[in-house]
Order: sequence, then structure tokens, then C-alpha cells
Amino acid sequence: MTHTDFIYIPGKREEKRIPSRVLEEIIHQQIHSGQRHLEIEAFGQHGIGGRLWDAGTDPVNIRIIGHSGQRTGSLGNANTCIEIMGPASDDLGWLNAGARIVVHGHASNGVMNGAAQGRVFVGGSIGARGMTMTKHNPRFDPPELWVLGTAGDYFGEFMAGGIAVVCGHGSQPEEKVLGYRPLVGMVGGKVFVRGSAAGFSQKDAKQVSLTDDDWQWLETGLENFLKKTGRMDLLATLTVRPEWMLLTAKSPHEKADSPNRPDMQGFRKQVWDRELGPGGLIGDLQETVPGTIPVIATGDLRRYVPVWEQDKYIAPCQAACPTGIPVQDRWAMVRADNVDEAIAMGLAHTPFPATVCGYLCPSPCMAACTRHQEGMPPVSVRNLGRAGEQVPPPEPPEKTGRKMAVIGAGPGGLSAAWHLTLNGHLVTVFDTGSVIGGKIASVIPGSRIPENTLKTELARIKALIPDIRLKQSIDADAFARIRDEYDFTVVAAGAKKPKSLPVPGIELAVFANEFLSDAKTKKITPGKQVVIIGAGNVGCDVATEAHRLGARDITLIDVQRPAAFGKEREDAENCGAKFLWPVYTKEITEQGVMLQSGDLLPADTVVVAIGDVPDLDFIQPHLAVDNGFVTVDRFNRTSDPKVFAIGDAVASGLITDAIGAGKRTAQVIDQLISGKEVRETPAMPVMDTSRVHLAYYDPKTRPDDLSSCGDVCASCGRCRDCGICVAVCPESAIFRNDLGKAGFEYQVDPDKCIGCGFCKGACPCGIWDLIPNTPM
Amino acid sequence: MSSNRSLEPSALSLNDLPWQVKFSNDRCTLCGQCTAVCPVKAIELGVFRKRTLKPSIRRQADQGVAQDVFYGIRQKTDVAHACIGCAMCTLVCPNDAIHPEKNPGLDRMKFHINQQGVPRRRGGRRNAAGSILDRIKFTRISMLTDPALDAGRHEFEMRTLLGRVLSPRENMKRLKEKGWIPPVREIYPLIIGGMSFGALSPTMWEGLQMGVAYLNEEMGMPVRMCTGEGGCPPRLLRSRFLKYVILQIASGYFGWDEIIHAIPHMKEDPCAIEIKYGQGAKPGDGGLLMWHKVNKLIAAIRGVPAGVSLPSPPTHQTQYSIEESVAKMILSMSMAWGFRVPVYPKISASSTSLAVLNNLTRNDYASGLAIDGEDGGTGAAYTVSMDHMGHPIASCIRDNYLNLIKIGKQNEIPIFAGGGIGKNGNLAANAAALIMLGASGVQIGKYVMQAAAGCVGTEEDRCNVCNVGICPKGITSQDPRLYRRLDPEDVAERVVDLFVSFDTELKKIVAPLGRSTSLPIGMSDALGIDDVAAAQRLSIKYVV
Repeated sequence: MTHTDFIYIPGKREEKRIPSRVLEEIIHQQIHSGQRHLEIEAFGQHGIGGRLWDAGTDPVNIRIIGHSGQRTGSLGNANTCIEIMGPASDDLGWLNAGARIVVHGHASNGVMNGAAQGRVFVGGSIGARGMTMTKHNPRFDPPELWVLGTAGDYFGEFMAGGIAVVCGHGSQPEEKVLGYRPLVGMVGGKVFVRGSAAGFSQKDAKQVSLTDDDWQWLETGLENFLKKTGRMDLLATLTVRPEWMLLTAKSPHEKADSPNRPDMQGFRKQVWDRELGPGGLIGDLQETVPGTIPVIATGDLRRYVPVWEQDKYIAPCQAACPTGIPVQDRWAMVRADNVDEAIAMGLAHTPFPATVCGYLCPSPCMAACTRHQEGMPPVSVRNLGRAGEQVPPPEPPEKTGRKMAVIGAGPGGLSAAWHLTLNGHLVTVFDTGSVIGGKIASVIPGSRIPENTLKTELARIKALIPDIRLKQSIDADAFARIRDEYDFTVVAAGAKKPKSLPVPGIELAVFANEFLSDAKTKKITPGKQVVIIGAGNVGCDVATEAHRLGARDITLIDVQRPAAFGKEREDAENCGAKFLWPVYTKEITEQGVMLQSGDLLPADTVVVAIGDVPDLDFIQPHLAVDNGFVTVDRFNRTSDPKVFAIGDAVASGLITDAIGAGKRTAQVIDQLISGKEVRETPAMPVMDTSRVHLAYYDPKTRPDDLSSCGDVCASCGRCRDCGICVAVCPESAIFRNDLGKAGFEYQVDPDKCIGCGFCKGACPCGIWDLIPNTPM
Repeated sequence: MSSNRSLEPSALSLNDLPWQVKFSNDRCTLCGQCTAVCPVKAIELGVFRKRTLKPSIRRQADQGVAQDVFYGIRQKTDVAHACIGCAMCTLVCPNDAIHPEKNPGLDRMKFHINQQGVPRRRGGRRNAAGSILDRIKFTRISMLTDPALDAGRHEFEMRTLLGRVLSPRENMKRLKEKGWIPPVREIYPLIIGGMSFGALSPTMWEGLQMGVAYLNEEMGMPVRMCTGEGGCPPRLLRSRFLKYVILQIASGYFGWDEIIHAIPHMKEDPCAIEIKYGQGAKPGDGGLLMWHKVNKLIAAIRGVPAGVSLPSPPTHQTQYSIEESVAKMILSMSMAWGFRVPVYPKISASSTSLAVLNNLTRNDYASGLAIDGEDGGTGAAYTVSMDHMGHPIASCIRDNYLNLIKIGKQNEIPIFAGGGIGKNGNLAANAAALIMLGASGVQIGKYVMQAAAGCVGTEEDRCNVCNVGICPKGITSQDPRLYRRLDPEDVAERVVDLFVSFDTELKKIVAPLGRSTSLPIGMSDALGIDDVAAAQRLSIKYVV
């Protein structure tokens, strides 16, 4: 192609620069008129050589002399070849869509910015932000940029496709051929570099080795590039393969897989621990274990551990029983088919299992029963007690040779004598009365206890304790003799002296004990109208007996809310007895009881039932008394170390209180004899019944016989050996150990247990607890 | 619960509890993981009775009644075992059968968490989700009007100065006279605020320090972390990492003998000394490390016996006036390191903060002022202090900065803001807002616990048991059974994630402002808010 083939288009007219818009029009007119070779003498006009699509597929050659302006060849067409005979201004080949451009000098900033096709050869160096935002549309060949010299800063930012070749010719040693911070945000394309690309974005790009195909492509391309730019003299210099490197974009996976920072594990080992010492920050202060522990841990790492607390707590029934009978143990025996043993066990605690447990006792054990928590009836102890009637007395053990005296053959005294005898001592019981049994025998109405039962139990007592001396006159001297003669003396003289009222006409009234005792022998007829002063349980007994004896209008009066409760009160109410309170007696007349209010309560019989006090005449010279009762410490010891006092002589109470005191006194006496320190048997804490689970029991069940009672007993604090825990444990960590004669136990394998507490949550008896593990 | 129980005043039903454990028997496999993991033993295996009736209209003998027993998870209703909503049960449940739900308004327990007359104490946060910082927008987007900066491409100078910068005239004078020039540190503007070794578990604390060291040494980010008041492990004091550490001294003076013993052996000076006078979470109340958390290790580092509660008095003893406090404490601390280390006080945000600041401006030894706003978190505080005491950080910082401008010292004494920054997750936006309101940098605590260790606390009174050492994530526990759930390495990794991403976000905010050479401290013309009163109070633009 010679110079003459080109149409010359001057960029000036009449010495004035043609505006870019006009020059663009001229170029397009020439193309329209069929010209395909244009030489343009440019004076900085914008965008020369772009957008020449009017030529169709015909090649168009543009030669630019003079000063090419910005964006030469921008939006370039694939049919366009542009040759710039001097340097190029900014944004050469901007948004290039196919134009081939050769620059015989340097090019300034933004070469190929946003280009997607075409090829730019620069025979010098380029400015900043070359090859930025370039694309590669797979329908076309990728854009190419060839630079003989070096690239300016921020080369290849956000490069998404295309190939750049930077030859670095003429660069200084150590000079960064790709300028400062190249390839930031690069996501595609290739960059061949001859020289240093130091500082390129490691986050986005990576250096790869040239394959043979790469090299062949580069070698061929270089020859073409040098030919076009007229620098074939450099071919040998530039085609030294080891001098070239290739940079490509990292894939998203590569970016994700190799975070652009060293791993923390390495840092910890090589930097952190090296500076601080083994074990890191606190390795000098405590042993540190590397790694983490699982959230659900076993063994020592459990936060909580289960414990099987058999025999650590007493059941509420046992705790509530003044006599201290282990009720739940007895039901356990029933469940284990040891019914006889369960029944016989009663005699180890009381001489009156049938009379008291079976009939007379208000049963604090049942009142305390855990089953109440869910409105279920308590386990009835009555049957178990009554079954004790026919059990023969226990065999007394070998005699100790010690002699014990018990004054009073009421329930307290007989209990003391019973237990002292069972402990092997020789016991003598003294009583002023003609029968044994005290108030049980003499005062309590027959309606509340079958005569035969009482007889049988009293006979059993007599059989065990041969030396019971009745109708004894015990005055102060007699007491002193007894006290001296026996190793220990237990005063259980009861409260036999009725309390009286300081009102006129009191002599017209009869005292409750006298009334009840007479009633038993049927010697009296109280008449239709009876007024009872004192509305306690004894008053109720009087009411019931009076009714039995024909009274129909019965009134119990009291100065305060009636203290009567339970069976006694129920019976009285069933007899139609009325309760009046608060009322105050002014006097007792033949007509009845005159109240302070002025009202008269007509009565055929007036009974005073405001309680009894002990008769302490025989004691007073020897023992300290207080407010009408014998003074004792918590072990029932009186002021005389050889004398104990129990029952109503000490304080008013239930029959079972007196029986319990007799039992404990026998224990204390044994402690004294054996020279031990007198102390309470360490009481086990009472079971926390919220640990007991009652959902297992059918609330509709109303147990009546022994067997079903045993079944519904919640067995608070005493393992039922049901194995629910074994079944429930999600880790199979619980197992049962057979201890032969010693029974059994449940154990936990700490290596399996996760401390979930399911055993505690499921245990019907509350044996399992979950406690914090020992602090580490 | 017993069916015929009596009612005492504090008898609560499930419906009264702040968190209710929703449980599906259909999905439950009875594996025990939920009850094993529950930090407060709020749930247990329950035995339930199921009565099934099979009626018949024929004869009485045909009526069917069956009693069945089944097991399930039961939530306890007593105050001591009330669910805290941490959802560890949900985390471990293999069958997605269980999760706590916030009671939407029937919570009655708040009236009963004062058994034995002890008001509620807790760790955590204020439980108030609102944040004025979240409402501040960056309204100055400098397209074409300022250099077009690209957060992803351009380089930014994201550093701030901690230390007293003398006026140019004074600086020249001292240079000429070879006088003392206050130490100044160039640090990253996001600081990990004071959380003590003791309040945090050893694994958490080590993780944070490791992350900070990594950021400095591998990432070139000069991040600093304050020790809080609980001393500093001796090894750290004697390591080069000490330069990344701001040592805190507070009214309890815990661990300071160890620090004094270490001074002659220090390879590096610490970054700075922070004197804590108050904290935003519980202004006017001292620190409190409850005995649960004072084990052998903590005791050794703090120089106290193990197993005792460690209260710090609300005020420094022996200091009776602001003049005395500031002068005496700052001077002593400066002296300890030969006046080479910046020393600054930290106070709770308060309507009286200006008095402190004015005082500091007159004292060359004062290197800055850290102000902690009401939204600050804590390891232990009375609820009343946490919820009702304190001052919002935004207006407090603004007041102080504008005051500095008034006296012409805005470039001389830096103010650092803390308390609730990023409480709803918007860390960079909150930090940038405070910086543009006048803070030279911000301190964060809760955000780090959440981002770096997975703290489950929210502004809805979730968890909040940091004070009693049962943190289910092992962040604030001294029990190896809990803190060993946390790997310091993982924490460090997350600290790095957090700072690197914060850095990007902060750049995304400052780039459109055309700022890359310095932090836009006090550049309040970039801020707007859609609230007239707030705009007026903060002296920023009202935008709607």
C-alpha cells in the first residue's frame, strides 16, 4: 500500500481545527462514497476511527498522522484497522468491538478500557489503567493488548477477559512492568508479562506457568506485533521463554478455598506460642488442653452427674410418725411378698400396731403421704396395723440383768416397758389402776376400738412383760424406793387429773374421763340433753358416748374455735352434736349451763372436757416440774439422771407420741448403759417429695387390700427396683448391680452418661438426683 | 407441678415466664441432649399421665378407661430455673423438636426476680433494640463532586491517633527547646473495649488477643484491645504483643502488682493505659466479678484468693475531686512508663462529661477521653443500673466534640466512643456515624462476643447469664466444662473476619465521601437523619 492509495483528510480547515463532530461527518461521508483508505491529519479530535460499520464487511484502513485525540478507535468495528503514526492519547480503543489499532509511540491512560474485541499494538509504553474492565464475549475472539514497553499503575483492574502482553522493553532493573497494584478485581483473561509484576492483587490473580501452547501463541504473536510496530530487531531479545510469566484470574472457588491470609493454626504455633511459650497465654499458670470439648460430654466433662440416693432420705410418712415407723419399708416388703414380715415389723416399733395404727391413731403418716400432692388418697396404714393383732410377741433376747421400772401402764409406759424388755432388761411396771392400757382401756369409747383387739394386744404385752404390778399406791416414798431399787425409772403416769373450771356449780358437772369410763361400764344415763364444756376430741368422744346412751340434744361449747378434728369430730357430728363458740360459762345450775351472755343451755348432764393434767404429787419432792408437767430434756431425761419421764406427764399429746417417746427412751437408756454419748440417732433428711413422680399411678385406684396398698405406695426415697431408669436412660449408662444378700444397687457408667437427668426425671420414687459435677 | 398445690405469690405458670419452651412430642426422640445442655436446668424429663376414654352407649361394663404414662420434656416454672431463651436445646436437638419462644407480653416473672429481697442482676445488655445510630444516614454521596473513590480498588488510610497532639505552635516550640512531646499511637479506629480476664473466659480472652496479634502481624492492621480491669496474664506482659494492648486500671486495681513486677521485663510498651472511672452499662456502679467465676487462675492473675466475689468500688478511693482524680491518676500512670505511653480516662457517658473533657484539655498528660454510652454491655450489673442509668452515646460524643471545636482543640485530644455500637449488627455504619459526629475511634465489646464467639444474647433479654459463669458458649465462664467449648483459634479467626469485613464496610462508607487519606472525624455534613429533633440535637441535617 502506497501513500497515494489513501484519501487525505485534514483536521484543519482554513487554519482552524475542525470540531470532532464535523470530522466524524467527513469520515463517514468518505466511507459512504466508497473510500476505504483514509489518512487523517488529526488535531486532537475525539474518537477517530471508531464506528465505521457503514462499510459493511469491507476492510477500512485509517492512518492517523498528527495528534490523535482521546478515545481513538473507540466503539471500533471489526473491519477497521487504525495505524497511529505517533503517540496516542487517553482511552485508546475504548469499548473496542473489533478494531485493530497500531500505535507507533506511547499511549496514555486507559488503553482498551472496557474493550471486548479487537487488538491494540503499542510500540511504546502505556499509562495508567490499561486493559481495565476488558471482556471476552465467547462469540468473538478475545481482545488483545500488546505493549512493547511497560504499563502504568492500576493495570488490568476488573479485567474480565482478553489477553494482555506487556514486554517490558526498556524498563529499568527492578521496575514494576505492570505498575502499582495491578489486576485488582481481575476475574478473567490472561496477562503475559516480561519483568516484574510485583504487587499484583494476590486476592484476585495468580501466577501460572506458561504451557507450550501459551508459549507458541506468544512467540507467534510477538513476531506479528514486532512486525507491525516495526521492531523486528527485538525479536530475539523478547523471545526468551524463561523471562516471561503468565498471570490469570483466580476462580471464585480458588478465592474461597484459599483465603488470602495464612491459617490461624499456623499463626498460633509459629508466632503466638513461640512468643508466649508452650500453652500460649496462660500456659505458665495452668495446664491447657488443646482443642474443644463437645457440647454434650461424658465422664468428668459432664456438668451434672446423677446419683442413686437409696436410703439417704426418709419418706414423709415415716418422718411424720411420732413412733417413727418406717411405713414405706413395710409396703416394700408387701410388694416383695413378705407380707408376714411387713406386719410383724410393726411390733419392733410399737406394742399396739392394731389398737393404735389400726384404730386410734389420727395417722400423721397418712396425712403426710405424698399422694396427697395429686389429690390421690393416701396409702392406708389401717389394714397393715390391724393385721398386726394376731402376730405373736417377739422372742425377748438374752437378759442383760439390768432392772428397769416403769410407772404407769398406759400406752407410753407400756411402750417403754415393751422396748426395754426387747432390749433384754428386766422390767417392772407399776400402775395404780386395776387394768393395763391406761386411757386406751379405760376412757376411749368402745365404738372406736373393738374390745377383742385391745384385749389381744394387751394380752400380748402381758405375755412379753410378766412383771406388771397393778393397784399400786405410789406416793413420794414409794417412788423414791423404786427409783433407788432400779437401774432406771421411767415415769409414764399420764395425765389423769381433770382440769376444772372456776365457776359456781362446778360440782354439778361430771368430768370427761369419769364420764367415759363410766359409760364403758354402762352405769350411767345422761338424759336427753347434754352440754359438754370443751370441744376437743375428748369432748367429741363424750358426745358420741352420750348419744349411744340416749342423749339426743348434745352441745359442745368452747371459748375458742373447737380443736376437735378427724374421726372423733366426724362421729360427734354424725350424732347431731352442735358446736358453739366462742361462749363463756358463767355458772352451772340444775337447769344446765348459764352463759355469760345470759343464755341458758339446758342440760340433764354437763360434762367438763377441757383436758387433764398429770398428778405429780408423788414426783414433786424428787423431780423438777414446770407448769404442772415433769421437766425433761429432749431425751426425756428428768432432773434426776436415773429417771425419765414420757407421755402426758411431760406434755399433752397423741397416743403415738407417748409410744414413740417410750421407744426412744429405751434407746437412750441403752446408750447410757453402753457408756455412749447420748445423742439422737442421726435423723435422715426427709425426702423432697417433688422428686417423686405420681403420674405412674392411676388416681381412680382406691386401694383397699394390703397388696394394692403396697402397689400404690410411691415408695418415696426407697428404690422400687422397677428398672425404669435403665429403660429411660438414652445412653444405656445405668445398670443394676445384684449385691446378693445386701440387696441391689443401680450404678452409672460415667463414660456413657451425659448428665441429662432423665433418670431423675423418670424415677417414680425420687431415688435419682442430678447434682453439679465436682468443680474442675 | 403438683395438681393441688397451694399458690404462693411467686407461683408462676408457663404462661407467665419470659421464655417458653415449645416442645413437640411427635418429634422428640428422648435423647436427653436438651436437658443435658440447658445451662439453667430449665427443662427436665417429665412423666405425664394420659387418660384415654373409650365410651360406649351400651352398658356401664363396656365403658373403657385407660391410663397411660408417657414421657416428654417439661419446663420448670420456678424463678430460679426459668428458661433464659438461649436455645442451646434447639442447637443440640437432633430432631428439631424443641425451641424457646419469647413470651410476647405476658411475662410476669419480672415482678418476682427479687426473691430474698435481692434485685435482679445479670450480664448482657440493656435490652432496648432501638438505636439512634442506626437511623443516621450518610447522605453526602460525592459523585463527580469529589474524587471518585472505589472502596474495593483504592487505598485508604484507616487509622486514627490515640494520644495528645500538640498544637503546631506548641509542638515546634517544644521541638526547639527539646521539651517533652506527648506520645501518640497510630491505631485502627475500631478498638476491642475493656473486657477483663475473668469476665471473659481464658479461651475467649486468648482468642481475642490472638486475633489482634494476627491482625497486626499478618494483616498490617494496627488493632488494639483493652484488657479491662482484671490484670493481664504475665506472659502477655512480657511479650512483644503487649504493644497491641491497652492496659486498664480501675477502682479495684486488680492485677496491678503483676503488671508492676513485669514493667522492668517488658519488651514493648503497652499501647496505652486506660483509667476506668465508669462504664456505660452501669454508670455509677463498680465492676463485679461474682465468686462463681473467681477460680484459681483468675485469682492468680488478679492477686486475690479464689472463690470470693470481687467488687470494684464505684469510684477510685483516695480521689476526691475531678482535678485530683485526673491529675493524680494520669500522672502516676504516665510516670510508670517514663511518659512514653498515652494515658486516658474512660467515663460513662453523662450530662457531666463536658466537665471531664474540659479538665483534660488543660492537662498535657491526658491523651484522650473514652466515653461509654448507655448501651454498653457488661458481665454483671444490677438490672436497674443497666436498663435505666446512663446517657446515649451519640449526643454525648457530639456535645464533647462541638465543645472541642469551640475551644479550638478538636485536633488535639481524641474522643473514643463506646456502647451499643453495632448492637443491631450495623457495626461499620454505627462506627462511621460516631466518627463523623466527632469520635476518633470506637470501642466494641458485645459485638465481638457475638461475632467472634457466637454469644447468643439479644436485645430481648435472651441468655444474659454472663454474671454467674454458666455461659453456654463458654465466653464468660471460668468453668473448663464450658470454656473448653470455645477454641481460641476459632475466636481469633473470627476476630480477623470481623475486622477485615469492617474495614471493607467502613471504606464503602467513606469512599463516596471522597475521603481516603484520613478518617472523616467530625465530618458531620455527611450525616442526615429523618427526625427533626435528633437532627437539631446532633447538629446534622434533617432529611426526609
